[in-house]
Amino acid sequence: MREAPPLLRTPPGPPQPPLTHPWGACGLFEDPGALVEAARRLRGRGPLEAYAPHEVHGLQEALGRKAPPLAAMVLGMAILGAAAGFMLAWWTTAIGYPLKVGGKPEGSWVPLLPVVFEVTVLFAAGTAALGMLFVLCGLPAFGHPMLATRAMTAITRDRYALSLEGDPGACAQALREAGATGVEAVHLACHAPKPMITLAAAGAGAALAGLLAFTLVKAYPELRPMVRMERQPRVGPQAPSRFFADGRAMRLPVAGTVARGHMPSGATTEAEAQHHLNPLVPTPAVLAEGRAAFTERCAVCHGALGDGRGSLGRAYGAAPADLHTDRLRSVPDGHLWWVIRKGRNAMPGHEADLEGTRVWALVHYVRALQRSRHALDSDLPEGNP
Amino acid sequence: MKRPSTIRALALPACAALGALGSLGAWRADPPRFWGAWITAFLFLQTLMLGCLFQPALEHLVGARWSVPLRRVPERLGTLAWPLLPASLLTLGALGPLYPGWPGTGGKAAWMSPGAMAFRVALAALLCALSARILGPRSGSPAGRSRFAPAFMAIFALVLTQAAYDWVGGITPAWYSDLLGVYLAAGSFLAGFAATTLGTLRLRGQGRLPGLGADHLHNLGAWMFAFTAFWGYIAYAHYLLMWYGNLPDEAGWYRLRLEGGWLQISQALALLRFGLPFALLLPRAAKSDARRLAWAAGLLLGGHLLDMAWLILPSIGLPLRLGWMEVSVGLFMGSMALGWWARADRMGADLPEGDPALAQGLAFRL
Repeated sequence: MREAPPLLRTPPGPPQPPLTHPWGACGLFEDPGALVEAARRLRGRGPLEAYAPHEVHGLQEALGRKAPPLAAMVLGMAILGAAAGFMLAWWTTAIGYPLKVGGKPEGSWVPLLPVVFEVTVLFAAGTAALGMLFVLCGLPAFGHPMLATRAMTAITRDRYALSLEGDPGACAQALREAGATGVEAVHLACHAPKPMITLAAAGAGAALAGLLAFTLVKAYPELRPMVRMERQPRVGPQAPSRFFADGRAMRLPVAGTVARGHMPSGATTEAEAQHHLNPLVPTPAVLAEGRAAFTERCAVCHGALGDGRGSLGRAYGAAPADLHTDRLRSVPDGHLWWVIRKGRNAMPGHEADLEGTRVWALVHYVRALQRSRHALDSDLPEGNP
Repeated sequence: MKRPSTIRALALPACAALGALGSLGAWRADPPRFWGAWITAFLFLQTLMLGCLFQPALEHLVGARWSVPLRRVPERLGTLAWPLLPASLLTLGALGPLYPGWPGTGGKAAWMSPGAMAFRVALAALLCALSARILGPRSGSPAGRSRFAPAFMAIFALVLTQAAYDWVGGITPAWYSDLLGVYLAAGSFLAGFAATTLGTLRLRGQGRLPGLGADHLHNLGAWMFAFTAFWGYIAYAHYLLMWYGNLPDEAGWYRLRLEGGWLQISQALALLRFGLPFALLLPRAAKSDARRLAWAAGLLLGGHLLDMAWLILPSIGLPLRLGWMEVSVGLFMGSMALGWWARADRMGADLPEGDPALAQGLAFRL
């Protein structure tokens, strides 16, 4: 074995492990122009590869390589993506789930283009990235002889490098002549990991784990891996619960809780109720509500006019009150309110059926009925003879 | 060798005179048809000029280097703003026959009145001429022009918006679209880049741009390629929104352009301004190939002219025709523009000498 030429510098640091064999040499260049020029000169001398921190136009031709088929791959997948996106969106809106909006024709192409565009870009970009990494660049590769060189740190910053495979001495000489600086020999470690074996082992492990899980689930169906929404613990209506001390499934509301819209009036005796004022303003809407309540609950006995001559009273010989008597015209609103809610003599209380302020609306309507039989001159509209 | 040059020297004035005579006759014979052709040609030149002025302004604004060696081309084309100043005022003659204004009183009626519109048109033409003066082909350091560049961006947006809403939208004042100005701007970019590409290829073919390489051409091709996609996006978005909304006062504008012979013209427009140039410029090699670039630029310019006719004529209620009236107007406007360009072609040195970034621009590599 002849001596390494003096031009060739071995990398500093710990000595190379004994199990390496010569792979080639690499050298650095200051700018992309020098790199392209050197690549052109060294073309055909052996397996040649260039390294740069960015894309260098013209390098491909200088290395004597044909353009990679990436553009064709991306174009093909883009067309496939456009077709897939269009078919997906068109089938969905025209056939699968026809959606009629605003009188638009089903399956019109106009609203589908954004979907087509997105799927096209997805297919094309995915193909560009994954195809470049895994198809054209030959990844995954767990090691490369160039990774152990000092040139590698330089070319990730601002330098450009060429590597030439072959006898390190001859390769280094050729690189020198092509204008390279920092030429170094490159060795291949013989114990480089075997990526395909590792990947195959990982894949086999994953497949084995999947098979095992599948077999276990099939062999022991009671081991349910996912019950989803099948089991929902709950207590049915009227069912007892052993969880709470009182045996009820539902909790009672806290003492004093008031439901929305059911605020108690505060009056607990008839005497107190006399002082209650009607909180509603007699707008047409309130009077209409009062009229509806009167027709629904009162008219059958008191009569539609409130004169105590309802159909039910006549049928049973009862004597419902005439609402137009002087006594009932002079009682306060609070009195009517109390009687409607609590009932009087044979009349039942309507508290449970007239919610919220409906009783007050009813009081307004009763007042309007009373006024209709004792109208003043000023109640008549002016200018209508 | 004297005779051919004499013929050549006399050809343009003769064409211009013939076109002017024909245009006068057309103006007397059928004013709406004449003004339709006139506004189409005028808008074509104005948007092209704005798209060209945009390029040096953008270069000064962002400090671009690659475009310095070919900057003279859009600068010279941008000086079209000067002859377009009197042309704008002549175009005001269309206000009577074609622009109905807004009936009644109030803000919109005042805004669309002939006086207000004439004021805006004159102001826009003045701003363009001023911009062409400042950004025009002059030697020396571009420091002052760099300070003006941001202001030009505002002028660009305002003038294009004015052109869109006055010249295009004014014909159908009841119709309204937010995107119309952006649509016209997208076309203006395309026309400007296409004209710059053709001008650069011509100068390069004559050997007047030494040092300009394939990498510069590649960038021009990439510009055009990118903006075909931008135009397609804007044109489609404009259509999609009106199609979806389907409001009677909006959709009618498109309905005019999708019925009768205009349907095929709308489809041709999509093909000329997006489909064909996009496909043509898609491969990397095409972007630095002079012949394919010239084809794409020619398609885009033809598409832009058709686009302007597509914007104007259906609103007037006219079909697309090429009779003696249109030929006369085209002859007049075209020979005037070419005559101006023959003059502008000699303004300043072909390479912007004195610009400190010129060496860097010539050394540009992808």
